[in-house]
Amino acid sequence: MRTTLKQIGIILLVSGVVALAVNSIHPRKIPWVQSWSDHVEARSRQAGIKVIPLSVALQKFQSPEGAVTFIDARSPEEFAAGHIPGALPAPFQTLEEQFPTLGNLIDSGQELVVYCKNRECDDSLMLAIELQAMGAENLTLFVDGFEVWQKYGGAVVP
Amino acid sequence: MTSDQKVYRFAYWFACLIVAATLLSGYHKILYPADFALSVYRFHLLPDFLVNIASLYFQWLEIVCGIVLLFIPKFRVAALWIAGGLLVVFSGAIGISLVRGTAFSCGCFSNAPDALPMSGMSLARNGALLALCGLALYAQRKWRIKLPDIM
Repeated sequence: MRTTLKQIGIILLVSGVVALAVNSIHPRKIPWVQSWSDHVEARSRQAGIKVIPLSVALQKFQSPEGAVTFIDARSPEEFAAGHIPGALPAPFQTLEEQFPTLGNLIDSGQELVVYCKNRECDDSLMLAIELQAMGAENLTLFVDGFEVWQKYGGAVVP
Repeated sequence: MTSDQKVYRFAYWFACLIVAATLLSGYHKILYPADFALSVYRFHLLPDFLVNIASLYFQWLEIVCGIVLLFIPKFRVAALWIAGGLLVVFSGAIGISLVRGTAFSCGCFSNAPDALPMSGMSLARNGALLALCGLALYAQRKWRIKLPDIM
């Protein structure tokens, strides 16, 4: 038993040394300590908005018509270049123009899935917070965004 | 060697091989450390400052254990105990996330955004692997205890 404990200690130590050495020369190395609270996901969590990855967004996209509406928070140019079929354009900068449409959607009780470009952009989060303030309860943030949707073969229309 | 011993030896090697293969199949965590750190963060169980430390350490602990199980027989029992401990920790984390409700994958075998969310199956898989660790430790003990009897 004592030998085993010693060997466990050696394995734990070696793993730590290898992790330290490899991360220092890794082409995609990460900092040992970083703040996660600035991330869009963390901020969504703080705001009480549910966050979903691509796998779940794809499932929701297959939902019966009228059950889920995707809302695109990117710029009109980005939306015109390609978007999720059936998505409603609602760039955060011109949100006021969309108030009547969004209000109707909220009243319909449909699930609203908000997205923007990628995990780093926070326009979708801002939009989600606004929708929440307007009374949306069935609200989800698709955090991976349009870039990942397109990359992994999600349906796209120009 | 008696037939019992042959069975125990086979069970030991078989279980070690499966556990090692499973541990080594987590190599993607090393290729894309940021993605695995994100998976660890998504459990919401660790304070911010521990997320990257834990993700970098655990990914290498898994790989080192897998290599030891395959190539360093002298250290196999120690590696099995560590693998068992890791499985208990991961299962606990998955269990807590399932109770809280999560839409994310555990990041165990894939960091891809289209990986299926964690579920009861993730726990069942870990349970099976834990049973294999237990089997290997038991078979190794039986095999070792009986060896001196025939020598």
